[in-house]
Amino acid sequence: MLLVRDSMTQEVVTVAPETTAVEALALCRGNRIRHLPVLQGGRLVGVISDRDLRAATPALGDPARAEALDLIRVADEMARDVATARPEDPIEDAAMAMYERKIGCLPVVDGEDLVGIVTSSDVLRALVRLVGAHKPGSRLEVALPGRSGSLAEVTGIIRDEGVDIVSVLASSEYEDEGGERVAVLRVGTIDPKDVVDSLSAAGYRILWPPPGSGTGPA
Amino acid sequence: MSGRAAFVHDVALEEYGFGGDHPFNPVRLRMTIELCESLGLLEGYPFVEPAPAMDEDLRTVHYTSYVRRVQQAGRGEGDLEELKQYGLGTADNPIFPDVHRACAHVVGGTLVVARLVMNGEAEHALCISGGLHHALPSKASGFCIYNDAAVAIARLKEEHPSIKVAYVDTDVHHGDGVQWMFYDDPDVLTVSMHESGRYLFPGTGAVKEDGQRDGHGYSINLPLEPFTQDDSFIECFEAVVPEALRAFEPDLILSQNGCDAHALDPLAHVSATMRVYEHVPRRVHEIAHELCDGRWVAVGGGGYDIWRVVPRAWTALWAAVSHQELPTEMPEDWLEKWGEDSPVKLPFLTRDEPEDYPPIERAGQIEDRNRRTVEELLERVLPLIS
Repeated sequence: MLLVRDSMTQEVVTVAPETTAVEALALCRGNRIRHLPVLQGGRLVGVISDRDLRAATPALGDPARAEALDLIRVADEMARDVATARPEDPIEDAAMAMYERKIGCLPVVDGEDLVGIVTSSDVLRALVRLVGAHKPGSRLEVALPGRSGSLAEVTGIIRDEGVDIVSVLASSEYEDEGGERVAVLRVGTIDPKDVVDSLSAAGYRILWPPPGSGTGPA
Repeated sequence: MSGRAAFVHDVALEEYGFGGDHPFNPVRLRMTIELCESLGLLEGYPFVEPAPAMDEDLRTVHYTSYVRRVQQAGRGEGDLEELKQYGLGTADNPIFPDVHRACAHVVGGTLVVARLVMNGEAEHALCISGGLHHALPSKASGFCIYNDAAVAIARLKEEHPSIKVAYVDTDVHHGDGVQWMFYDDPDVLTVSMHESGRYLFPGTGAVKEDGQRDGHGYSINLPLEPFTQDDSFIECFEAVVPEALRAFEPDLILSQNGCDAHALDPLAHVSATMRVYEHVPRRVHEIAHELCDGRWVAVGGGGYDIWRVVPRAWTALWAAVSHQELPTEMPEDWLEKWGEDSPVKLPFLTRDEPEDYPPIERAGQIEDRNRRTVEELLERVLPLIS
């Protein structure tokens, strides 16, 4: 679930370097996509986006637009230095590459073959699946002190309470030197009170649920 | 009995509970009934006693394999690891002797209230033990083994083929089980108001869960911010529920009246008071008369401050169901009896005092967020109902 191959689109719409801008834009519109890998002799030679094409043509309403759309070829506007991903890459590597290069997609290649495409919305979907509620559970936020093994201890305490962990997210960054970081867990219970009590007793600071909810009138 | 209200109950329904210090404690049923009795609200309303639901009833929404597992568990048989896969024997849903029979009886209670009202034998009917809305087709979840409301709706659909049922759930937890069981059914409108799943079990109940296929638009979810107070709760209810039900034109309304959105409830983080628990049933009652000749079936649900909240909330519910005034003061004999067991001071009044629940600092921000949720629902989901 967390590899590129699990999140990528396998049916890739591609164009050739000599495809015209008008044809390429029609493909984007028709398939409701924004990026087209460019193949030449089966080999990936570039990527073109609808934005690149629009930027290269006169604005809507300009009489020169229709002619320009017919004249411009994909090869004129495509990015040639293409960042790619491999199917077995972790999805977070793909996310990092897109984020750092400020790009919206990565063609996925296996050797020389184009086998898929992964876009920023695929990455977002993977994130949603990661944090989403697909099994009934309650939110638990725990401050983890900056020492090794604290996450393991937290999950151990939850296990000892006989409660399943539905999902875990833990930041790799600490708030400050020697400080705390936050783990967000979904635990498979409607009543996390015993888990919270045990974690508190072990010295962990609980950020959610809020302390003292339901203890009396304000 | 036409035009009359019915209270469906049997002491056997008080067997459904998990024992020890488990938060789902059937003592709350006893306390509610004795409070109603002590206030004189049950005079002239003999209990209508239900029989347990049959296996065929349960199989309308549950898998046969699951029903067998529950029966095994109740006999002390079955592999514990395997039962856990069915949500049985977990911290939330411990196995207890005869769990199948106890829960089938609860389902029987909800079947009876539904049939009494649909067959015209009662105008409105209440069974406070029902409302086990988290139970899934093959899994126990959130203290719920069998989904009584879903079974009752499924049976009504068989017995009255063109019937349209509106299910209105104001428990603080999302009514996930009932929603999923009718997610593609345009004849069952599910409306759930709950604390946002971002913060609270079960985690679902976002606005965008709005039904699928033919049922697209027939699942309505109104997730509220934690710490929502009465004014915002009631404003959201009024903005969405009457309009949704008017668009749907139900033949019967089944309301789930979990009272765990109360500020005192230990399992959730919404800050409602008894005002909500008087308002909601009174309005559902009015809407039932406006839209479906008064056909209204009410069940209980969650509620884990069993001392200060549940008995008062469900007494107010019964007062609405039976067209009786809710007395102002709690009866002395009741306070004396239950005060001995209660670890907390019991309230002297049937209603909460507003000054005990002043607006919190972030109230404006919370109201705004809830209003945006309502707007999204009104724009995107309600127009899909036809």
